Amino acid sequence: MVRLFSGQRAWVAQRFTAVVLLVLAIAAGAWLLFGAPLDHGSWRALLATGHGAVLAVLVFAMLALHGWVGARDIVLDYIQPRGVRLALLGVIALVLAATLIRVVLIVATLGAA
Amino acid sequence: MIMRSRSEAPLRFLNLYQIRFPIGAIASIAHRVSGVLLLIALPLLVDVLERSLRSETEFDALRAAASSGWGTLLMAVAAWAAAHHVFAGIRHLLMDVGIGSGLKQARLSARVVLAAAPIIAFYVLFRGLW
Repeated sequence: MVRLFSGQRAWVAQRFTAVVLLVLAIAAGAWLLFGAPLDHGSWRALLATGHGAVLAVLVFAMLALHGWVGARDIVLDYIQPRGVRLALLGVIALVLAATLIRVVLIVATLGAA
Repeated sequence: MIMRSRSEAPLRFLNLYQIRFPIGAIASIAHRVSGVLLLIALPLLVDVLERSLRSETEFDALRAAASSGWGTLLMAVAAWAAAHHVFAGIRHLLMDVGIGSGLKQARLSARVVLAAAPIIAFYVLFRGLW
């Protein structure tokens, strides 16, 4: 568990997800600023399309991966007892995985409805 | 912060109150704190996503909640966390490719990052998100 994304791979994953999220955040910011005011209808329509759904899952996958690398760094830096460390990392990994699965389910049921 | 110069007081033991955090360390700690806040926000954000898609009533209720007193405060804290994390992240990415990694420039960019995020947070606090 502690080895899940460690060393240089973690470093590369952290930077890669950071750059992708930065580009997506700028795009989303521009879309919100210069696009039509967001309402429920257009929001739902966007996420009901294939592209919108994939984008939503991509965003949360990047956030979860980026969050995992950062959380792992912090836990390894500040928590020394091995048992507590493993338990905490396990909880974080589980919550992040569940979060991502939830996003997949949300957009999947949206397209079906 | 008051620090006696070395000539006045010879260092006999470690005084934690005399340790000064360099500006870079403060920016770095804030990067971590903001990251933890955003990590906590992530599962909540999925809740918001689900509710915002459920119905128009829910969508408008979320928007109203974000504009309420406590909601605005929460949005301002979230805005600080997101802004600081992104700015400090850009700073790190630039340093990775060798831009601004000299001590003088690094200290200046740490100051800029630490100042910019609260400005955005206060803007959200007083003007709202929309």
